[in-house]
Amino acid sequence: MKIERAAVIGAGVMGAGIAAHFANAGIPCVLLDIAAKEGADRSAIAKGAVAKLLKTDPAPLMHPRNAKLITPGNLEDDLNLLADVDWIVEAIVENPAIKADLYKRIDPVRKAGSVVSSNTSTIPLAVLTEGQGEQFRRDFLITHFFNPPRYMRLLEIVGGADTRADALAAIADVCDRRLGKGVVHCKDTPGFIANRIGVFWIQAAVNAAVDLGLTVEEADAVGGRPMGIPKTGIFGLMDLVGLDLMPHIAKSMSATLPTNDAYRGQMREHPVITRMIAEGYTGRKGKGGFYRINKAGGGKVKESVDLQTGEYAPSEKARLDSVSSAGRDLRKLCEHPDKGGLFARRVLAQTLAYAASLVPEIADSIVAVDEGMRLGYNWKQGPFELIDRLGTDWFAELCRSEGIPVPALVETAAGRPFYRVEGGKLQHLTTAGVYDTVVRPDGVLLLSDIKRAAGKPVWKNGSASLWDIGDGVLCVEFTSKMNAVDADIMAAYEKAMRLIGDGKGDWKALVIHNEADNFSVGANLGLALFALNIGLWPQIEEMVEGGQRTYRALKYAPFPVVAAPSGMALGGGCEILLHSDHVQAHAETYVGLVEVGVGLIPAWGGCTEMLARHQANPKAPRGPMPGIAKAFEIISTATVAKSAAEAKELLYFRATDGITMNRDRLLADAKAKALELAADYSAPEKSTSYVLPGPSAKAAMELAVEGFALQGKVTPHDTVVCAALAEVLSGGEEADISKPVGEDHILRLEREAFMGLVRTVGTIDRIEHMLLTGKPLRN
Amino acid sequence: MKSVVIAGYARSPFAFAHKGELTKVRPDDLLARVFAALVERTGLKTDDIEDVIVGCSFPEGEQGLNVARSIAFLAKLPQTAAATTVNRYCGSSMQSIHQAAGAIQMGAGEVFLCGGVESMTRVPIMGFNPMPNPALKESYPEAYCSMGITAENVARKYAISRAEQEALAVASHAKAAEAQAAGRMADEIVGIQTPAGLIDKDGCIRPGTNADSLSGLKPAFTADGTVTAGTSSPLTDGAAAVLVTTEEYARANGLPILAKIRSVAVAGCAPELMGLGPVPATRKALARAGLSINDIDIIEINEAFSSQAIACMRDLDIDPSRINPDGGALALGHPLGATGARITGKAAALLKREGKQFALATQCIGGGQGIATILEAV
Repeated sequence: MKIERAAVIGAGVMGAGIAAHFANAGIPCVLLDIAAKEGADRSAIAKGAVAKLLKTDPAPLMHPRNAKLITPGNLEDDLNLLADVDWIVEAIVENPAIKADLYKRIDPVRKAGSVVSSNTSTIPLAVLTEGQGEQFRRDFLITHFFNPPRYMRLLEIVGGADTRADALAAIADVCDRRLGKGVVHCKDTPGFIANRIGVFWIQAAVNAAVDLGLTVEEADAVGGRPMGIPKTGIFGLMDLVGLDLMPHIAKSMSATLPTNDAYRGQMREHPVITRMIAEGYTGRKGKGGFYRINKAGGGKVKESVDLQTGEYAPSEKARLDSVSSAGRDLRKLCEHPDKGGLFARRVLAQTLAYAASLVPEIADSIVAVDEGMRLGYNWKQGPFELIDRLGTDWFAELCRSEGIPVPALVETAAGRPFYRVEGGKLQHLTTAGVYDTVVRPDGVLLLSDIKRAAGKPVWKNGSASLWDIGDGVLCVEFTSKMNAVDADIMAAYEKAMRLIGDGKGDWKALVIHNEADNFSVGANLGLALFALNIGLWPQIEEMVEGGQRTYRALKYAPFPVVAAPSGMALGGGCEILLHSDHVQAHAETYVGLVEVGVGLIPAWGGCTEMLARHQANPKAPRGPMPGIAKAFEIISTATVAKSAAEAKELLYFRATDGITMNRDRLLADAKAKALELAADYSAPEKSTSYVLPGPSAKAAMELAVEGFALQGKVTPHDTVVCAALAEVLSGGEEADISKPVGEDHILRLEREAFMGLVRTVGTIDRIEHMLLTGKPLRN
Repeated sequence: MKSVVIAGYARSPFAFAHKGELTKVRPDDLLARVFAALVERTGLKTDDIEDVIVGCSFPEGEQGLNVARSIAFLAKLPQTAAATTVNRYCGSSMQSIHQAAGAIQMGAGEVFLCGGVESMTRVPIMGFNPMPNPALKESYPEAYCSMGITAENVARKYAISRAEQEALAVASHAKAAEAQAAGRMADEIVGIQTPAGLIDKDGCIRPGTNADSLSGLKPAFTADGTVTAGTSSPLTDGAAAVLVTTEEYARANGLPILAKIRSVAVAGCAPELMGLGPVPATRKALARAGLSINDIDIIEINEAFSSQAIACMRDLDIDPSRINPDGGALALGHPLGATGARITGKAAALLKREGKQFALATQCIGGGQGIATILEAV
């Protein structure tokens, strides 16, 4: 069955967010809520929700125009809209009676064969289908999205005994390919996978922090990064989701969990937290939470709550020897005698043992549990991967010493790891105590799997590796810190070009891809600053010119180059995308030329490429200035696209570039495109016809900057950087509309402007400040 | 001297650029609709039209290609009517009236359809391809002084406080809102069909604008300035039209004579103080008419910015209570090319409505100019 149109019932935060994400996927979506009791417009609630989507940050919509794909309506007058849709998602209040009533109302009007799913996070499927007709039960399942639906990758899917297999498969497929979700099949148990473990983990951590006398800063310092958990840690996470949610979840969990469930032993009311909720300190949505920004007296002071007294005091950076001495060694952290070590021991022992005790109750395999925690709570590693880091034997010992029963699955492991690599394949331990190969969904190609299977790369240096991804396609993977671009990465491109040659031999095409959170944050500033400080001007010039040479060579190479970015692709990391024949981007790619933030301009061809694209934009008005002005606006304000769709609008990506919703399918899509292009490839022709007005264009850009300067929106050094950028984009002193110039001319201007800027104090200050603080200096 | 008269005035509603009700309407269609309505309302014999003169500040894009001719075709005017587009920035459509009057005086025609249009949504201020002369920018940067900065300059030179500027804006909105509510704008406005329906009311007026609502706005042009979005006329889409002919022709053809043109003038001034342009232009026009400012009953002075309007009133010795009885550009908006025809046509219509004798319409012009027209009851 095909899912072409969808509907969401319930226009709250989750419902509207799910509708937005259908729209992001290009699936038209009806959004219904109850009819407004007041006012003339009975669909005001759903319409208001759509309006709010356009104002929410981070944006639920990947592009504002997607809002047009959502048709708002109300449950009194617009039920007929459901007759056209293939999938109806119910996202209303968590009350079985109200849900049952709604199902009875929609069942007669929905299309035959359509699927109905609930976004419930707590109510079992068996309860939801009780008393419903047979056909409804066959068409019904649970699809549990995480908030916010656009950004959280996990989708838990639960089918019941009566659910049609083809419906389950069709929904899982559309969630995977169209919505880009990591689909995890769960059993029909309370909280499914992620919340079952996540809620336990939060409660256990809060209890341990209070009992062991840790401050919230200390608890988050131990419970965040060292455990591979986002740095918000536990208390920061609770601030984010809302402190008031916890008592609700505790209540709902205690109503449905088995009587002997370990969570019952953890459930505890903390008077300080109860009082905070009562007084409106419910987290970021309220007056503050465990952390708050105190703006009293015009200042901005970060404060934290004292877990014992409930009083706020200025936050203090946690100083725990356990954290600083253990580094990435989780076992060392747990063995440390300070309170940080004790906290880590207790939280990990309780949480991981709980998770291990839930297989096969909540899912058939440990793989699903790990996936659920990675995608649903942004853990770097799932519980079983964490246990492997500690060692299963060592973990069993830890459980014993903490007075926790050793989970059966840990006993089954008997010292063996939960995961192993056998014959290049990743395998996981089953409940039967044997290893099974981890099976990827059809069409998923992961660089990590390829690397595991190959063992070693085709070639590598300190910042990049070249991998054989099959069928004659070579892949450049960045391995430098934060994937910063440096001379080694340039060397890897050069090596790749030598290996591929004319593309008619063993190698046909190049793909640029990696699986880090961010594709690349730009050029390595630390190296640049080092060279600046000792005045190595020729080396800096060679770094710029060499980068231009390499990127140009890739652009005009006799074989196709396909880039497959995800996450941030900034500065020099953006410029390589601009030089690729095709970009196959993950939908969540955030791309931008941000060089002005460090007092520079893009000089690896970024200005040249943006100028070419914007001057050739058929949607822009004619004449030389609109393209120049647009490129100037984008680069001078360091505009970063907040999605791949937005990147297309800014022309960081071309209309022909592809977008892949599911990150796990990115490499496969990129490789397929590379092979498609390789079949009949000819390199692009060198552009020779930039019509640039030179000084009069520069005068126009300077006038604009002067206006912003008077408004106080441009700093003194911004003016210097903008003048350099205007010089490049205008075509420079000699340019005139009567004599078009080639790209070499603009590349030379890029280099000259860059070399001029790196010699200014303002730029050096900006680079130093960025390296020290990670934030741009506004000098 | 022949007696040259204004024998008809109409305009489109004025609406915010970029977010208003006319953003989807092409400027040529907009003025064509107003011309057609003016012809219909006056019963003008279009075969008699000598020339169609259209003012526009940025005559390019949809306002390009001698837009006056396109508009004439769109308005179904006969091929025999010639058409020309004139540009004197904000003074463009007042200039179109002056040009018609001049032509009539020298016997170069008898019936002129004048007007102006600006879609500040669809053609950006500065145009699509701004290319200032770099040598001029270097040697005489004042030539390219931005409008907001000129408003700040005038405010500083005349020590006009922010509160005083805001008081003018409050008064302008109050008068416009009152006129709109009382239906006094309805006669002049031509409803415009848009994809979203018929638009027949001005969109920029904010009834209830008060000192409090304005005082919170940030300075719009300089970090420490006194001029805000509330004391600047908004970017606006709109069109206006005026029928200019001889008194003799109007009487013979039963056209509704609103006023006769007594004198006109243009004058240059410092570009960085362009808002003062109405002062020398008005003085010249008054001298040519042999009148003093105290003889004038109706005054339409364009409120490009509060500060410049106040400065002009001070220099010309005009009491603020005497100007713009139905509100000015701070409330109604200022579609650059259309404003001159609006305030001239409005001044003529007010003379007739109020039964007064003399009217003045005057405005400042970017680059440092002023333009003025003195009208007299017939």
